[in-house]
Amino acid sequence: MGKEVAMEVDAPTQNGNAAKEEPAGPAPVSVEAQLESCLKLLDRAVRAKDTRLIAGRLLRQIATLRSNLTAEVLFAFIEQTLPQSFSARETLLNVLHQAAQVTTLKKHAQLDEDTPTSVLPEVELVAYLLVVTFLIDQKQFPKAKELSTQAVARLGEFNRRTLDGLGSRIYFYYSWAHEQTDTLADIRGKLLALHRTAVLRHDELGQEMLINLLLRNYLHYNLYDQAEKLRAKAQRPENPRSSQQLCRYLFYLARIQAIQLDYTGAKDNLQQAARKAPVIAVGFRTTVAKWLVLVRLLLGEIPERIDLTQPGLSAALHPYFCLTLAVRSGDLSAFRAVAQQHEAVWAKDRVANLVVRLRHNVIRAGLRRINLAYWRISLADIASKLGLSSVEDTECIVAKAIRDGGIDAEIDHEKGWVTSRATPDVYTTAEPQADFHERIAFCLDLHNEAVKAMRFEPNSQQKAPLENADTARERVKLEEEAAKAAAEDDADF
Amino acid sequence: MGELQSTRQDYDRFKAAVAKGDLSQAQRLLSQLKLKLIQLTTASYESASQTQAARALFRDVLEQAIFLSVKSKDEEAFQRNYVQLQEHYLDTRSVLPASPLQDLVLGLNLLRLLVQNSIAEFHTELELLSPKMQRSPYVAQATQLEQWLMEGAFNKVLDAGKAAPDPAYAYFLDKLQTTIRDEIASCSEQAYPHLSVKDATNLMMFNSEADLAAYAQQRAWSIDNGQLVFQVHEEDKISEVPAVQLIQHAMTYARELERIV
Repeated sequence: MGKEVAMEVDAPTQNGNAAKEEPAGPAPVSVEAQLESCLKLLDRAVRAKDTRLIAGRLLRQIATLRSNLTAEVLFAFIEQTLPQSFSARETLLNVLHQAAQVTTLKKHAQLDEDTPTSVLPEVELVAYLLVVTFLIDQKQFPKAKELSTQAVARLGEFNRRTLDGLGSRIYFYYSWAHEQTDTLADIRGKLLALHRTAVLRHDELGQEMLINLLLRNYLHYNLYDQAEKLRAKAQRPENPRSSQQLCRYLFYLARIQAIQLDYTGAKDNLQQAARKAPVIAVGFRTTVAKWLVLVRLLLGEIPERIDLTQPGLSAALHPYFCLTLAVRSGDLSAFRAVAQQHEAVWAKDRVANLVVRLRHNVIRAGLRRINLAYWRISLADIASKLGLSSVEDTECIVAKAIRDGGIDAEIDHEKGWVTSRATPDVYTTAEPQADFHERIAFCLDLHNEAVKAMRFEPNSQQKAPLENADTARERVKLEEEAAKAAAEDDADF
Repeated sequence: MGELQSTRQDYDRFKAAVAKGDLSQAQRLLSQLKLKLIQLTTASYESASQTQAARALFRDVLEQAIFLSVKSKDEEAFQRNYVQLQEHYLDTRSVLPASPLQDLVLGLNLLRLLVQNSIAEFHTELELLSPKMQRSPYVAQATQLEQWLMEGAFNKVLDAGKAAPDPAYAYFLDKLQTTIRDEIASCSEQAYPHLSVKDATNLMMFNSEADLAAYAQQRAWSIDNGQLVFQVHEEDKISEVPAVQLIQHAMTYARELERIV
């Protein structure tokens, strides 16, 4: 859900970045030249065994290219880079040929003499990745599905850490193409096998991606039980490499927790996911916000008005806003009306069962209001105020609310009324102190999380004393790039 | 094919035994049947229809096995059979036509989870059901019961016991009644300062006041002058400062701040 929208958002932002990156260039750089520079970068990175360069900058550059790709450009690119002996070359060209449905593609066929005879596997997979993204952008999902399956098979033939970044991207489109063609169940076994391999090879990027894909796969079919079992047992890399994947993971985890009634845990994880999600990923943030509203309501909290009317999200959150109002007022009939009116929305967001669970909270909220307002009130009046059907029910419901600590009162059965106990002064109890503690703990936790989220170049201290002027310049350049990359990292979501 | 035919005859005998309530006979037949069916469903056939027939038979056997476990009041066996059956419901959804007993079995399972107070599992199972299945009377009753339980509308739950959609429900609904009586009792302790014996008998659905008296003894309530007086478990209001906890908190803050500065 979130991903889908986030992906739509992907392309335009990448364009924005491209414009920012190349303002000083003499002329707008052609797609071909950009592809060329991608390859150079790739070559350099592979030789330096720099996995971060591939996972970060290269993938970003490819994403930049995405919206400018045309079948012709891709066709020429593949003809020039992939050796003729590769079966992939033929397949990719054929696919493009069919996809473009134009015959103009043939004219490049004579350029054969300067094609290389061997090529890095990374280059081949970049070619796969480009064509798959192209097909997905063209909404040709069945073809993308077929091709991504081949790409995954090809990927399995290598064991190179420099492929991890590219690989995880390919896995993502592999799953995405299957989701679009509604065949997610078929690849579950494959994904599990891939995940196992990724763990054995210490392919952390792949692990993070695959575990999310698997969770998404299970949750797509509402298999919460299996998802939770996998999540609890599967090994996760200690330091998350990608904040986007972490966000998704937290979101899936929270969904499982919410279904299994662990609302407190779900709320924590959703809040973290919402905080870590980049501003640009509107789709993801909307979905998280929806779940957060429901979970908070189920916990008996009332979300802040400002959370529900955030700019950009307020339209999508409108049904949830109405729901919150109904729960807050404790009015059962209003709640019923809202629940019915937006039934389609709940079904689409797959939260229908959570909304049903809220009924109980509406009654509680109503009772609490009555309890505060009246010193003594008859059960019949409560029943009519809350819209409950009979007095006997009301008596039981009130009794349970008293036991659960929702309200502080006692019932007189013979006379049929409820008397509120005098509310003690809250400041004579330990409650403010506990509340205060909770807030402090939250802030401290936030700080620790922030510290943990900082990333450092491995071995940077050891290298430092050895550098001369040249390497220093190189390093400064790299650092600038890294800083830029970190800033853009979020936009990649 | 002959194998399948003979197994089907076994199944018919098994089904008859379950229906008659001949539990030991049924139990014996069931273990034989399961062994045979594992062989049958994993064997390779020329035609897909034969594989399907074997699977459908296995499913029918497991469904009957569930009814058997309800009749013999064996919840563990119920759970085991259900796990095996679930695979047939979920994974062959596209191959086999839905079983006519499916909704009933699903409803029974939900009820079992409710009785065992496994609410988290209850909701996990519920998510697996399509909206159409959730509207079927068997499943709908289980979900309705869960809602009433959460709300505290206990008397509605008890009334529901009289309107079971299927005789198989009776066992679990009976068990639910005991659970609910305890719930009502614990609520009453907190909510009422005192209650007349007659009302209490009504409220907790006892048949006679003598039953109530026995139950009251169990929970250490005293009966005084026709009035049930609850031992008020007034937990001692915190009058003193929770010193140890405060110190712990303060130490944590100090440690964390040290780390920041």
